[in-house]
Amino acid sequence: MVRVLKPVELIVVASEKGRVTVKYPYQEPLVTSDFRGAIRIDASKCIGCGACVKACPPNALELLESPDRLVIRYFVGRCIFCWRCVDVCPVKAVVGTREFELATDRVEDLFNYTVHRRAECRECGSGFATRRMVEYVTEKSAVSEYYANECPECRKAKVLKAAARRRGGV
Amino acid sequence: MSESVKRSIWVYHLNTGGCNACDIEVLDALTPWFDAERFGVKLVPSPRQADVILLTGPVTIEALPKVVNAIEAMPRPRYIIALGSCGVGGGIWHDTYSTIGGVRELLKVLEARGVKVDGVYYVPGCPVRPESILYAVALFKGLVEKKVKSEVAYSE
Repeated sequence: MVRVLKPVELIVVASEKGRVTVKYPYQEPLVTSDFRGAIRIDASKCIGCGACVKACPPNALELLESPDRLVIRYFVGRCIFCWRCVDVCPVKAVVGTREFELATDRVEDLFNYTVHRRAECRECGSGFATRRMVEYVTEKSAVSEYYANECPECRKAKVLKAAARRRGGV
Repeated sequence: MSESVKRSIWVYHLNTGGCNACDIEVLDALTPWFDAERFGVKLVPSPRQADVILLTGPVTIEALPKVVNAIEAMPRPRYIIALGSCGVGGGIWHDTYSTIGGVRELLKVLEARGVKVDGVYYVPGCPVRPESILYAVALFKGLVEKKVKSEVAYSE
């Protein structure tokens, strides 16, 4: 049988239990070590390969391409904090943080940009990939150094030309 | 900050077709543990009485006319606090056929209808933490500083 407490008794019980309410904006939040917050892209490590953009389920990371620049745009407002980009990054440039205090009154605050410069083709001079990516590839495999500075179009044309020469003209 | 913000803010909770995770976090923020009523937040049953709309979900096309009606019914000044990834930018549903994709698209619809909104607050998170909601309310009342800002980083 449940007994209904009188107001005086309630005050006694409540004063024994004490206060449970957190003083949150004026104290540390209850963030555990496995909480996933917003990501941060370290521009000094990023090579602009776009692996994170491919992996991102809600397209919070997007590639904005132009002939001389390649920009990775991170829109925090669409991010679902799955950290797949952290898993797939080949150079560990994407790091996860515990930040969750992302409230703002201007939506422009939620966009972060990482700007890369395009590599220039030594044949035709047009931009392709990024400089950092070419550096990364030549570092990884020594044989590709000769080809790495050519854009895919020029490389394709060269291969076709060589094949034609080998077969005695097409 | 307008005059209405200095008083207690009365909040109308509007789910526009979300998955209910953010709605459960809203309830969590109102429990004695987090206690949003410290800031004067009170849930009201009608947009007619509300100062602020707590908008969750990516605004489905089916819900759009009702959402516009609810926001139209609010007295001026009217504020929107968009909660969660869906509310802010459409989230995982930003390009599906049945949603318009968050509050940014909703504002365009409202502008076309001639409905004015005095301020929009964006609270990312999937789902939002109850602390995020408290932080947004504190930011709305001018108790805390804004922490995020847009960054442009150059690789070389």
